[in-house]
Amino acid sequence: MKKGYIAERLLYTLIIAWGVMTATFVILRIGPGSPADRYIANLGAGHNVTQVTAAIETRYGLDKPLYEQYFEYMGSLLRGDWGWSFSTSMPVIELIKTHWVYSFQLILLSSIFAIVLGILIGIYSAVRKGTKADYIATFFSFIGISTPNFWLGIMLILIFSVRLGWFQTYYDTGLSTFSLANLKALVLPVVTLGTGMVAGYSRYVRSSMLENLRRDFVRTARAKGLPEHVVIVKHVFRNALLPVVTIFMWDMSAIVFGGAYLTEVIFGIPGLGRISFNAIFADDYAVVVAVTLIGAFVTLLFNLVTDIAYTQLDPRIKYD
Amino acid sequence: MIIEKHHREKIKKNKPAVLGLLFIILLFVTAILGPFLTRDPNEINFNDKNLPPVGFSIEQSMYNIKTQELEVTERKGSWEHPLGTDDRGRDMLAMLVSGARVSLEVGFLATGIAILIGTFIGVVSAYFGGWLDNALMRFTDVIMTFPFFLLLVLIVYMYGPNMVFVILAIGLTGWTGAARLVRSEVLSLRTLDFVTASKALGASDPHIILRHLVPNTMSSIIVIATLSIPGVILAEAALSFIGLGDPALVSWGKVLNAGQDSLVTTWWVAVEPGMILFLTVLAFNFLGDGLRDALDPKSE
Amino acid sequence: MRLTRKVNDIVLCVRNLRTYFFTEKGEVAAVDDISFDLKRGEILCIIGESGSGKTATALSILGLIDKPGAIVSGSILFNGTDIAKLSEGKMRNLRGNKISMVFQDASSSLNPVLRIGEQITESLVQHLKLDKKQTRERAVELLASVGISQPEERLDEYPHQFSGGMKQRVMIAMALSCNPEVLIADEPTTALDVTVQAQVLDIFKELKNSTSVLYITHDLGVVSEIADRIIIMYAGKFLEMGDAREVLMDPKHPYTKGLVGCLPSGKIKGRLVSIQGSIPNLIDLPEGCVFCPRCPDAMEICRKETPSETGISDKHSVRCHLYGST
Repeated sequence: MKKGYIAERLLYTLIIAWGVMTATFVILRIGPGSPADRYIANLGAGHNVTQVTAAIETRYGLDKPLYEQYFEYMGSLLRGDWGWSFSTSMPVIELIKTHWVYSFQLILLSSIFAIVLGILIGIYSAVRKGTKADYIATFFSFIGISTPNFWLGIMLILIFSVRLGWFQTYYDTGLSTFSLANLKALVLPVVTLGTGMVAGYSRYVRSSMLENLRRDFVRTARAKGLPEHVVIVKHVFRNALLPVVTIFMWDMSAIVFGGAYLTEVIFGIPGLGRISFNAIFADDYAVVVAVTLIGAFVTLLFNLVTDIAYTQLDPRIKYD
Repeated sequence: MIIEKHHREKIKKNKPAVLGLLFIILLFVTAILGPFLTRDPNEINFNDKNLPPVGFSIEQSMYNIKTQELEVTERKGSWEHPLGTDDRGRDMLAMLVSGARVSLEVGFLATGIAILIGTFIGVVSAYFGGWLDNALMRFTDVIMTFPFFLLLVLIVYMYGPNMVFVILAIGLTGWTGAARLVRSEVLSLRTLDFVTASKALGASDPHIILRHLVPNTMSSIIVIATLSIPGVILAEAALSFIGLGDPALVSWGKVLNAGQDSLVTTWWVAVEPGMILFLTVLAFNFLGDGLRDALDPKSE
Repeated sequence: MRLTRKVNDIVLCVRNLRTYFFTEKGEVAAVDDISFDLKRGEILCIIGESGSGKTATALSILGLIDKPGAIVSGSILFNGTDIAKLSEGKMRNLRGNKISMVFQDASSSLNPVLRIGEQITESLVQHLKLDKKQTRERAVELLASVGISQPEERLDEYPHQFSGGMKQRVMIAMALSCNPEVLIADEPTTALDVTVQAQVLDIFKELKNSTSVLYITHDLGVVSEIADRIIIMYAGKFLEMGDAREVLMDPKHPYTKGLVGCLPSGKIKGRLVSIQGSIPNLIDLPEGCVFCPRCPDAMEICRKETPSETGISDKHSVRCHLYGST
């Protein structure tokens, strides 16, 4: 029964993945900004425009009928040929391979930061509902949600790097990944990206905790004479966690990746967001497309993993 | 009326919401009247460059060609440029006012488009059910799978950083949340008696949808719309920040970008646009939250 | 049956208990000057309609009354100690250990994400400090004692895998795990169907000699099956109290008469049939006897004065102006 569920989710994921690739193709081909046009605009005068256009069109297969283009496109994507990056003179895949680590470490650390703090604050506010601490936490979560994360990053740099000198203003790429120096360099970026997340998570956790605090099994746990912290953590929180996991899952795609993009740009972290940004100004469209696709695929993968993990958390689902 | 009297009473009690509404109205007025009262934001005046805001003074070192020395002068802010100037002498206040207009336009138009699409898809999906519901929801899933900002960047990059395209792009990518919410609302309404009664009386589907279902979901739609506006404004600001905004327009994001470059010398160029962005987003969030509390049938 | 019962010991002594709820709309006297004794080994049933204060009484004993309610005055003596005044820490030592409770809806009273075994052994570990092996053995024993087959396997299952009746049995097993002196049961069979009810009642019957039971219900049928003594409660007050047989055979209070009289004469069976009228709004209680508005035998004095307790026999007392000298 559980295997059936996993298989179903896997199939669904593949279907959506196909949908994602097709949607991207549609965006690329339907519309005035054809890649050839842009490349030509870049080359500037001095070349015979019509000749160059024809050459490019043949090279990119743009002279072929649309459905053929589609199959070629799908084919190369699946083969791992995601195009060539003009501005860096390497296959797009290579570019991604060398830069994904930076995005990964940023997002991972920010998520850990946000989840831990979000849970702690959420539980505390729920248990201390109506007290000053709760109001302060709610107030700060409003602030946190409303602060544009790119502005927060700049403000943090202004205060902590420029004025106080505690941190560098720009990320040093020479640092080895598992060093303390690297960790220190990531403090401001992680706080930037994580703050908005903490604000959101603490609210979700709080509201889920409040709902579960009212449930009957809490009364049973107390009637058994269990210490309050056991009641809150082992009984209430375990139940409150379930819906929060789902929200966390969708948040990734809606907010986190976009936030990471901007954070990378501001701090100069050479992750996928940054290389996409660079590519925009070099008009290296293949890179921009690739980063978008990766964002979607990672989201899919992440959702799949979270979905399956969810079945572990909620015993009622396993046997449906 | 969509927002009935007792709802209005409830909202009035919510201080942050009222403050938010006042701020938004103020912003509106500023956006409309402001350009007539302030300088031209594009006016470049190198003499006045890098002026701090009123009340602040800053030491700047400038190289004097004649004496071939680095002169340290103290420059004070003045009421001529109450919020200071940027490195080309453009008046900050004028730029922010201009940006307000951009943000509000994009905010309302793009949200309007997104809500329209989302409501349409949500209602149709929930009402007709079956394979149509399935197909539409799968389509929604595909769009939702793309990280919102990345998709935006791709579209605006592909089609050109033009105000119209930005609005369209945001509208065409940001409807998914609304679609889901409207769909679940309609699903619960659909089974109610008045729908069955209407059908028994021979009402056609569009009639039921427009006359019955949509009005009943109106309050939710208003809440969703108000809470979507901040995200849209931030999206536009983010796009301008990374350079994908309309180059002919002054946007808060664009100014903020310039501010980061000159953070050490002219910090106000970074602080001011961000601050106003923050306050605007906060205002809409307070208002939206207040509306949601007031219109939520559960709390009645 | 009665010969083996120890009558002399009083395990729980409640005196003048008042538990009020302070709501926005006013003060609700959920438990209004209640006094009773629970004798060792007996089954004492509190009967009343919903809203009569019976659950509040039970929760007060365990100190589980939450805001906006609180015990306002009175004493609850458990083995000599007034537990109404006990600190939360010491109270926790008693809960689930010396005094346990079983709740009405077993489906919602069990934690859906924890295994049954875990939920049973929690109290064992908390109060008896047994080790892993011992707790598991004891848990198996407990499940078996309430009639659950294959207890060893079922320990590792989750609540949703149990039927309604079995869940209630699990709750009883949980409550009995540390051999409590007092077991409070709040309408444990209400949510179950009749055949399952009978099985669960059997479990209670078997407890007679080892555990004192305070059983709350609105079902006279249940009362007639298992009760040694009964208390009739209404709007936070006692109306009649005494030996089960005596009260049911010869009810004195008009309310009790109404309850009993609604049943076909002869055998006492079946559920509560409604009596004219409904429970008064507890915030705006009328002066005088709280049952007066609904009482077919109401007199002038009933409207003005609250009746005090009058003894009918040494095992039977009532609060009613019809019998009392005031």
